[in-house]
Order: sequence, then C-alpha cells, then structure tokens
Amino acid sequence: MLKKTLLTLLAVLMTANVALAGKTIVIAHDATWPPMEFVNKDKQIVGYSVDYTDAIAKELGLTIEHKNVAWDGIFAGLANDKYDMISSSVSITEERKAKYDFSEPYFEVKQAVMLPVASEAKSLADLKGKTIGGQIGTTGVFVAKKDGGVTPKEFDEVGHAVEALYTGRIDAAICDDVTAYDYVLNNEKYAGKLKVAFIVESDQKEYYGFVVKKGNKELVDLLNKGIKAIQEKGIEKALREKWVGK
Amino acid sequence: MTVEKKEIRIAVTDGMLIPSSKDKTLVSAWMISLCIAIGSILYLCISQPQPYYEILKFLPDGILVTFQVTITSILVTIPIGLITGLGRLSKNKVINLIASTYVEIIRGIPLLVQLFFLYYALGKFIQLSDLASAVIAMSVCYGAYMGEVFRAGIDAIDKGQTEAARSLGFNSRQTMMLVVLPQAWRTILPPVGNEFIALLKDSSLISVLAVSELFRRGREYASVTFEYFEAYLMVALIYLCITLLLSKAVSIMEAKLNYYDEQ
Repeated sequence: MLKKTLLTLLAVLMTANVALAGKTIVIAHDATWPPMEFVNKDKQIVGYSVDYTDAIAKELGLTIEHKNVAWDGIFAGLANDKYDMISSSVSITEERKAKYDFSEPYFEVKQAVMLPVASEAKSLADLKGKTIGGQIGTTGVFVAKKDGGVTPKEFDEVGHAVEALYTGRIDAAICDDVTAYDYVLNNEKYAGKLKVAFIVESDQKEYYGFVVKKGNKELVDLLNKGIKAIQEKGIEKALREKWVGK
Repeated sequence: MTVEKKEIRIAVTDGMLIPSSKDKTLVSAWMISLCIAIGSILYLCISQPQPYYEILKFLPDGILVTFQVTITSILVTIPIGLITGLGRLSKNKVINLIASTYVEIIRGIPLLVQLFFLYYALGKFIQLSDLASAVIAMSVCYGAYMGEVFRAGIDAIDKGQTEAARSLGFNSRQTMMLVVLPQAWRTILPPVGNEFIALLKDSSLISVLAVSELFRRGREYASVTFEYFEAYLMVALIYLCITLLLSKAVSIMEAKLNYYDEQ
C-alpha cells in the first residue's frame, strides 16, 4: 500500500514538471503597487503589468492565470513551485539575478521620495536622521539603507508606508517613481497633501523584469519573444499611455 | 527525623528556603525541548556559519524589542486583568456592565485587526509611537482574556471562605485582598502563564506595524538574501528558547505556591 502511494506520488510529481505547452502559466502579482498591479473596485487584479502579460499571452497563444500574492515571500513561493513566474514590478538586481532568472527588461523606473507638501528636503542628505518608510524587500528600501544617513522602516505594503507618511508617523516614503506619482496625483486622499519631492540619482539604470525559477529557460525564451512582439507592434506604447500617462 | 522536619517547616514559613519541585525525574519534556532548541542553534551556527551565524548576528536587537514589548505588556495586562475580573464579579451593575462589555468587544476582534485599527485607522486622530501602539494593543487584548482567567479563579474559591472572613470582622476589601485573592492566585497562575506565553508569541504580530521585533528582523534578513528557510528556522528556534524559559519561570512559581499543599 505504502509503495503504491509513493509511486503514485512520484508519478504526479514527475508529470507536474513536464513541459509548459498546453499548461496554464500561473503568474503571481503583489497587487498593491498601483498603477502597475493593483486590485480595483471590482475586486479584479488590474494594471500595466497585468495587461502586459495578458498581451503576451494573446500574442503567443498561452493560457495564463493571475494570482494575488503578498510581496513578502513572493520569491519563496516561486522557489517552491507555487506559481510559474512573478510579474510584480520586480526590479532586476544583481542579488536577485543570482537566485532567479529574469526576462528582458520591460519597464524603466527610478526611486522617488515622497514628502508632505510643506517639506523642503531636496535630497536624501537633507533627510539625515529622519525615518523613511518603504515596502520590505524592495529596491526603495535598499536605496534607503545604502545611504546610511536615514533610518529605514520596512512596511508590509507600500500603501502602509504612504499612510504612515500621511498620518505623520514617518518623515518620508520611498518607492518606484510610477507608483509614487500614482499616489500623489491619482489618489484622492493623498493628492495635494503629499508630493514627489525628488528622485534618488543612481549611476545604474533600474528596470522591471519578469521573474522565473532559476534554469527555466523555456519560459524565459517565451517571455522574451512575447516582450519583443509587444514592443514591435506598439502595444507597449498604448499600455503605457493607458496606465502611466506621459 | 521529626526534629529535622520541623526545622525545615519553620524556614519555609519564614520564606527563607526556596522549595524545590517535587518532581525528581531527571529528564523532563521541558529540558528535552530546550536542549533540542539550543542544540540546533549551536549545531547550525557551527556547521554552517554562513548563513546561520550571520542570521543570528542580525537578530539580537529584534529579540530585545520582543522582550520589551512582551514584558511591558505583561506588566500592564495583570492590573487590567485583575480589575476586569473583579469588575465582572462586582455586584455593582454599572461596573459589571462596563467590564463585561469590554471583555465581549475585545475578545471578539482578532488582535491583528486591533493592531491595524490602532496604528493605521486611529492614526488619523492620535499619534502614538510604534512601541506604545504595540503595547497598548497587546495589553488591551490580553487584558480581556486575563480578566476571564481572574474571574474564574476568584469564582472558584469556596463561598465559605468569604463567609468565614466576613464573620471574623474583615470588610469586603480585606476579604478579597487577604483571603480570597491569595488562594485564587494558585488556580489562576497556570492559565495566566499560558496567556503570558501566548502573548509572547503573538508579539510577532506587531511586525505588521513595521516595528523591528524578532520576526520582522528575520523577514528583513530573508527579503534581502532570499534565504527564507534559514532565516525563519532561526527565528522559530529563538522563539522556542524564549517561550521555554518563560514557561519554566511560570512552573517554578507554581511549584512554590503548591509546596504548601503537599506538606
């Protein structure tokens, strides 16, 4: 009996790994990062990355499924095969590249610091000794930590950091520029109260990429093919106008 | 022999001698657990200093914050629990109603929701420091549970004790303080110890307030290095060590109280 169970289990495990073709590709998003991926009033996961992956799937004839996952542990879930890829505004960094594989970049971002409108700080140096909030494990927090002069405070979600800034618990908040602009321009509550004060200058350009498990070359190739097709057909430009503006 | 025994009795009633536990077995579950926990930490740190020792070096300030929050909350919780428990037993209808309403409302809302409410929702009206919000939420929540423990313990004392004390001329406050509570404490202590341990473990929930306690420190480490298994294993083992020490402290107190029973 035990032998039989083990054999069945083994068979299931082996078939689970076989080929992506025909299989649904499950995409994990941390849907708390407007306008890239967030949950709208109709409880749907929407945003630039969501439309982007949908467009790729349409181009290549893939079936995909979107899944909302908490950011803290999103990489662990990929390593444990809970889903096939992450599309969650993940910036391509050397540390992450060492552990996971990335697709070609599909979006460029910079780190933006949000402050109350009345504040006059113009750089991280002006915020010396102040607390700066960000989402745990994001490039924004890494930048804040690297600087050394400010005290980083790592929240579960970027929205919590923005709320903490709004209520005055922290002195500044840091995140990707598109998201920061979305909070200060499109969010009714924060518009006029908070501002994007400055962009943290960096010698290295920062890009988003789709993340897959190390060694999943098949999926990376597929994604790169899709990204290329979308860029060439001008779909990327249309999506940019729809979600980001400019 | 008899003489010797008498001497010990006198010493104990004077409070000079710390009574040892009656349990003379060499191996206890507590000891095995602690050995496993400490042994695993040492083994991991020595056999694989990278990453385990690195993680251990990253955590101490988090442990300190966890201790701070837990100890402060425990100290605040005891009086809240006592007052609530007495309030629930009070014959004064208003006091009774206030205490009961407090217990019903707080017990019905998960601690995590209370934490979010106090920190993010109430942040609009009052600004509390991170640690203050954490301690207030923890002690208000656990005060309600503790109130029920106190109520049950006090309720369990035979009515005859109160009657006897009153007929000896004690007033109701003296009866409660000198007769009922000292006896109730023995029934109350084990569940109270339970609540302390639960409180310590639930202090990991305050990590959502971005307070750098033990669990958040582990998450911060994992978020940079992606060593989730290693970081959370270490955090779990450290929590285990701390709770084991706390449970030992409670059981020593219990042994002291029960010593007089076994004479």
